[in-house]
Amino acid sequence: MRLLIVDDSNMIRTRISRVVQNGGLKGVVLAGLAKNGIEAVRIAKATRPEVVTMDLTMPEMDGIECIQALLRFDPKVNILVVSALNDKAIAIQALKLGARGFVAKPFSDEELQIALLDVSDTR
Amino acid sequence: MVTLNEDDLKLFVDSIKRYLQVTTRQQPQITSAFLGTGDVEGFEFNGIVTFSGSYNGHVVVSMPPKLVREILLLQHETDLSDGNLLDAVGEIANTLAGNARKVLGPDLQISVPIKLQGASGIKARVRKHPYVITLRWNHHPAMVCVDMERKH
Repeated sequence: MRLLIVDDSNMIRTRISRVVQNGGLKGVVLAGLAKNGIEAVRIAKATRPEVVTMDLTMPEMDGIECIQALLRFDPKVNILVVSALNDKAIAIQALKLGARGFVAKPFSDEELQIALLDVSDTR
Repeated sequence: MVTLNEDDLKLFVDSIKRYLQVTTRQQPQITSAFLGTGDVEGFEFNGIVTFSGSYNGHVVVSMPPKLVREILLLQHETDLSDGNLLDAVGEIANTLAGNARKVLGPDLQISVPIKLQGASGIKARVRKHPYVITLRWNHHPAMVCVDMERKH
């Protein structure tokens, strides 16, 4: 399973990458790291990830726009939103657009692992 | 314009406590929370998020380098450059601001974080009477400064 991590914070990109690589998520291969939606779309077209972790508040292209762009390109991609915007309205908006899960920041390693397993199982 | 009340502002106290508890498994000690009356003296690394929509203002997270390094080390981060320390305080400010929407409502819009290095960096960003939360985490001091008001 190829994973694309999208977040404007290097700390979060590195942390998610470490959780995936050290956390016993077997078969997960890192497809790429993107710091905004434009980079994410470019990398996704080149690497065809099956799972994407998606921040929402980002420069250039935000997460909501990016979810729409990625799903236009690959309707089967499994998107897990990982965002500090933790209100119900934004979670519902992301899920209605086609995201498969939502993890609120701050998150523990265990919360992220479980959520990643959940969204990858939905494929 | 309506100034925030104590309950509105308590959410930022709870939010920084929860952030540090979840990411480092150590809660900070809140050492004071008060309405600032003079210039706010910050620390070396500052993350600032601007509010718009139903509120105007900023939230500022200000931390010394030793504290930010320890937070990163606890997350097994090996890049302890100044750029990565700035990225970390920006992300903490982003998290506190984003989490505020759960209480203050989805009409609260937040910017991407601005990151400033230098203890005087936040003086120009906040007005004369911000709400200041000081804390101590693992023996290191830090500060969260909330300067915002409701539009209606």
